[in-house]
Amino acid sequence: MHSIILKFKKYFFLYMAMFKASFIADLEYRANFFTRILTDVFWYIAQIATFEVLFKHTQKIGDWDVHQMRVFLGLLFVIDAFYMIIIHENLENMSEKVRKGDLDLLLAKPVNSQFMITLQKANTALIGNLILGTSWLLYSLAGLDHFNYYRLFWLLMLIPCSLVVIYSMRFIFSATAVIFTRSENLQFLWWQVYRIGMRPDSMYNPFIKWIILSVIPVGIIVSIPARALLNPPNYFYIFWPVILVPILLFLTNRFWKFALKFYTSASS
Amino acid sequence: MKKSFAVFWKRNLAFAKLAIVSNLEYRLNYFIDVIVQPVLTTGIEILLWFAVFKGAQSTTINGFGREFYLSYALWSAFFARIAASWMYEFKMIEEVSSGSINSLIVRPMGFYEYYLSQLMGYKLITTVISMIVPIIAAYYFDLPTHFMRIPIAIALCFYYLILVHTISFLVSCAAFHFTKITSFTVAKNLMLWILTGELFPLDLIPGIWKDRLIALPFSSGVFLPVGYITGRVGIESVVNGFISVTFSIIVLNFLGAWLWKKGLDSYAGTGA
Repeated sequence: MHSIILKFKKYFFLYMAMFKASFIADLEYRANFFTRILTDVFWYIAQIATFEVLFKHTQKIGDWDVHQMRVFLGLLFVIDAFYMIIIHENLENMSEKVRKGDLDLLLAKPVNSQFMITLQKANTALIGNLILGTSWLLYSLAGLDHFNYYRLFWLLMLIPCSLVVIYSMRFIFSATAVIFTRSENLQFLWWQVYRIGMRPDSMYNPFIKWIILSVIPVGIIVSIPARALLNPPNYFYIFWPVILVPILLFLTNRFWKFALKFYTSASS
Repeated sequence: MKKSFAVFWKRNLAFAKLAIVSNLEYRLNYFIDVIVQPVLTTGIEILLWFAVFKGAQSTTINGFGREFYLSYALWSAFFARIAASWMYEFKMIEEVSSGSINSLIVRPMGFYEYYLSQLMGYKLITTVISMIVPIIAAYYFDLPTHFMRIPIAIALCFYYLILVHTISFLVSCAAFHFTKITSFTVAKNLMLWILTGELFPLDLIPGIWKDRLIALPFSSGVFLPVGYITGRVGIESVVNGFISVTFSIIVLNFLGAWLWKKGLDSYAGTGA
């Protein structure tokens, strides 16, 4: 038990050091720092505009009206911002690390290689996006009649679960770079899979809904936290991500070890 | 005059061929890019339109039935793949930022034309391969499609690509002054994502915004060609699209020439 705490402390302080280094590095290129925030603002506008325009022509999409859809989008922005800050850049660059041989350096370090490749670089510029996303979520919640604010506590459990789900799926896509060396378009394919989860699960027919909540669990990312906020609690839906998280983490670890068997090192 | 054009043509044809060969090198990668991605996008958008029509409890939206929107979703995904430039813009920025542009500026060719020809070669092969899918799907599912209009729609989209490339050239000129500007590309392409009409038909936008957005040259990337094929817009809108793109290309090329000159003046030859 004591060794586990020591290990946890070591990794926690290591992450803090890497986060600080990332922040300093991000501040070095200030134009890039601000454009990254602007980039996501365009993405938010695209998502909001799509649904606002569609709701001019329909009352409901799936089970939800325009006010509930705004909450769904707010949650999408918050979860996506966390993902972009903590994980995205690392997995995005994995293919390049493999091609240039930078992965060698990570594998040689006396720490878990999956931890390093996942969390080495934080994208601190996007903290601004987290603030924007949270603001939109709070604004959209204020637009709901009789919203029970105690339901927000579900998010303390469900947002970390959503992050693990995104991470696990994205990680498997990225780790294919170790096997195929060049797999940029598989990374773009991830974006298409993620887009399925960016729409409410109630929009899909029962079979697709089952697929996206279990086999390719992108439906869990936003739809389940949104349901926890908007609908009376369905405990199966709420606790399903909690069951899934350790399974996904185990699978990513197995896949990483499997992928590393194909790594031949590019720097030699 | 004749000889110099022949040299110019041969040179650019070689650049285009280079792009085709290098993109087909990794075939799985390419197949995912031109077929799998737009097919998935189409699937997601079609499901959205089914849900929208179910919620609307109406057989038409804005005067068009569900089949028109399914057809739009199908064609727009494929046209959007053609109308966007990610890879070559990143390459152009990288050339300037890293200093590898040195090897290009000493050659008897322009940086602009070198990448324009490559972009066109890449998009040409992408069009030939990827357009088979919506043509077969539209025919098989009997979706509203004017097949005879496809060549003009593709011509407009390719003409729009010159504008897209000119914008890429402007962004890469900015790389002379800023070391790390790849997020400009992402921001700009996300903005174009909204303005081209890839997300939804631009004529669904209420009020004066609809006409303003359609009048912009960016609608020539997706909305106008796809709207023309699916019967949402007529030939006069397509002609307006050509005019709007021409005007923008002229203005932005002047701006690009000025930025290029300024960039080269400040360039030290070892990267930005």
